[in-house]
Amino acid sequence: MTNSKHWFAQRYLLGQLIKRDVLLRYRGAMFGVAWVFINPLIMLCIYAYVFGHIFQARWPQQGNGAPFWLVLYSGLIAFNIFSDTVSRAPTAVKNYPNFVKKIIFPVEILPLVPLGAALVHATFNIVVLLAALAWTGQLNLEVVLYPLMLLPLILLTLGLSWFLAAWGVFIKDMSQIVPPFVQMLLFLSPVLYPAASVPEALRPLYHYNPLGVVIEACRSAALGQSINWTSWSSALVSGIIATALGLAFFKHSREEFADAL
Amino acid sequence: MPSDDAVISGRNLTKTYRLFSHPGDRIKQFFTLGIKQYHRQFTALKDVSFDIKKGETVGIIGRNGSGKSTLLQLICGILKPTLGSVQTRGRISALLELGAGFNLEFTGRENVYFQGALMGLTQADIDARFDDIVAFADIGEFIDQPVRTYSSGMFVRLAFAAMIHADADILVIDEALSVGDEAFQRKCFDKLQDYLEGNEKILLFVSHNVRQVERICSHAIWLEDGRVVKQGPSSEICAAYQAKIHQQVHGMHESHQPLPTVAYSGEVEVIRLQLFMGTCEQAVDEVEIHAPVRIVVDFRCRADLMKPDIIVGFNTVDSVFIAAASTAILPSQPDFPLGEHRIEVRVADLILLPGVYQIRLGFLDRHLRPMWAAHKLRTFRVTAAASSNLVRLPPGLVDMPFEWTFSSQQGKQ
Repeated sequence: MTNSKHWFAQRYLLGQLIKRDVLLRYRGAMFGVAWVFINPLIMLCIYAYVFGHIFQARWPQQGNGAPFWLVLYSGLIAFNIFSDTVSRAPTAVKNYPNFVKKIIFPVEILPLVPLGAALVHATFNIVVLLAALAWTGQLNLEVVLYPLMLLPLILLTLGLSWFLAAWGVFIKDMSQIVPPFVQMLLFLSPVLYPAASVPEALRPLYHYNPLGVVIEACRSAALGQSINWTSWSSALVSGIIATALGLAFFKHSREEFADAL
Repeated sequence: MPSDDAVISGRNLTKTYRLFSHPGDRIKQFFTLGIKQYHRQFTALKDVSFDIKKGETVGIIGRNGSGKSTLLQLICGILKPTLGSVQTRGRISALLELGAGFNLEFTGRENVYFQGALMGLTQADIDARFDDIVAFADIGEFIDQPVRTYSSGMFVRLAFAAMIHADADILVIDEALSVGDEAFQRKCFDKLQDYLEGNEKILLFVSHNVRQVERICSHAIWLEDGRVVKQGPSSEICAAYQAKIHQQVHGMHESHQPLPTVAYSGEVEVIRLQLFMGTCEQAVDEVEIHAPVRIVVDFRCRADLMKPDIIVGFNTVDSVFIAAASTAILPSQPDFPLGEHRIEVRVADLILLPGVYQIRLGFLDRHLRPMWAAHKLRTFRVTAAASSNLVRLPPGLVDMPFEWTFSSQQGKQ
């Protein structure tokens, strides 16, 4: 089999797996795939209510006059890609013992499935975002950069998924450990507040961690503000490194998957 | 060096697993970078070499834990050998287990497409074969129902159909056909035969069932404790393997009395069951095909037995019931009062084909309630007559006396 054909076969398989993963979540549900839209909207309503109304949070540079919930939503989409994927990564391989032991299968694509599913959901979210931007009259040309802005985050998430998926096979506790961390990161990342409101001393943490940078960049793209390309590029480099390390680690440990499962 | 026409060749394959007694030990091992050992080593396969050529059907036989599955996983590339190498040419069917890629929540149709993708088929490939697959699996409109609603038979039928229609160059079947009903098994074997025709394909077949291996495979590899005991033509290897099993079973008989598979209610106690050949007074464990044999049972009644149904029969080592004699069909059935009795059952011509068989014995009361029953009572071996050629023997379980007549329809016009 030539390399390109091999790659094509894997891509087709991956597509099928992601489709199964997404469909399976909604199969048999009364509202079916509509949940793809309903879920993020519910979350959005809660955040808007709690932070916008109860805490009366105000965005410092809300110059363009975008409502708080919209600012929040544009960053939350990026964070959700990360959190959805990472919390499911530890079981990405563990839940498919047959694929490891009984089938000739490119196991390294399994951790891509949660990511793929998260990206499918993100796509629907972005459609909702576009609609919301248009509705509030905030639609700018910069929003086309939004998917590009996500790139470092996707790479980082991918590297992390490979790593966590491999560990998840050997250490059952991973699926318990990861979700609280993700929850923690929601509050530590500049999702609910801009990085600019963080005390000066801590700000480098936000400028050099790819998660924070991407969330900021996505928000800028959605709201037509200037994007910090230097930070974004460094995040991209971190993302590439994370991906390479994650894949290397995964390939190193995959030989032992079969006896651990 | 692998020979040139080999499609699969394994050289000095050794597979060692690391066993950790606690999951945390694996992490410790990882961080100590091999300075300290937290694990034990287990060698599942030691120095196994073989060549498989186009058109060969190879059976892998051996007891549980002898390394059969590990060998298959190495051949398929699911595991990497610790030492040695495997080379394969051609597309291997990707499944070591029927339906391994099926997801119960999805319909048969979706699963067939997915399994096709697993085996490297494109959507168009599967479209072209889909009708054949559904027809072979014979599940009708269930194809659009979720697989979880299938009966186990339907599940296996669909999985087998999807696998065989993928048309891989190397087909691997691991114990798969032991499920499914007789008719379907036969259909599968017929299909396999078609598939193997033309000597282009390779079949790797793993089974405990030596008879199946003997029937399907041209070659066999016998593994024990991770080593190859013997490999070669399947009839030869299977015969040697059966002889070994027979020896072991026989050895067990000597040491374990009374027998473990006996169920009894206490009214009857079997003292002894012996097998004799001809009129010889010496009990035997090996008889020749077509010999006259006698089965003699000594038993003790703890109560009066009125017209019990006594059954003496044969089954294969894999528990296929072959034939039995029952007192129920006698015009008048004997009564057995309290005390010891002996019964003798004679078979004038033992038509069982060479192999290993077991004698079953049962005592049922008039209401067909078992009072004493055992199926694996005495294991014995049927050997070919010294003069006969083993290869000439027909397949099957018994050498039934057939007669042929040939006549021509010409001249009747």
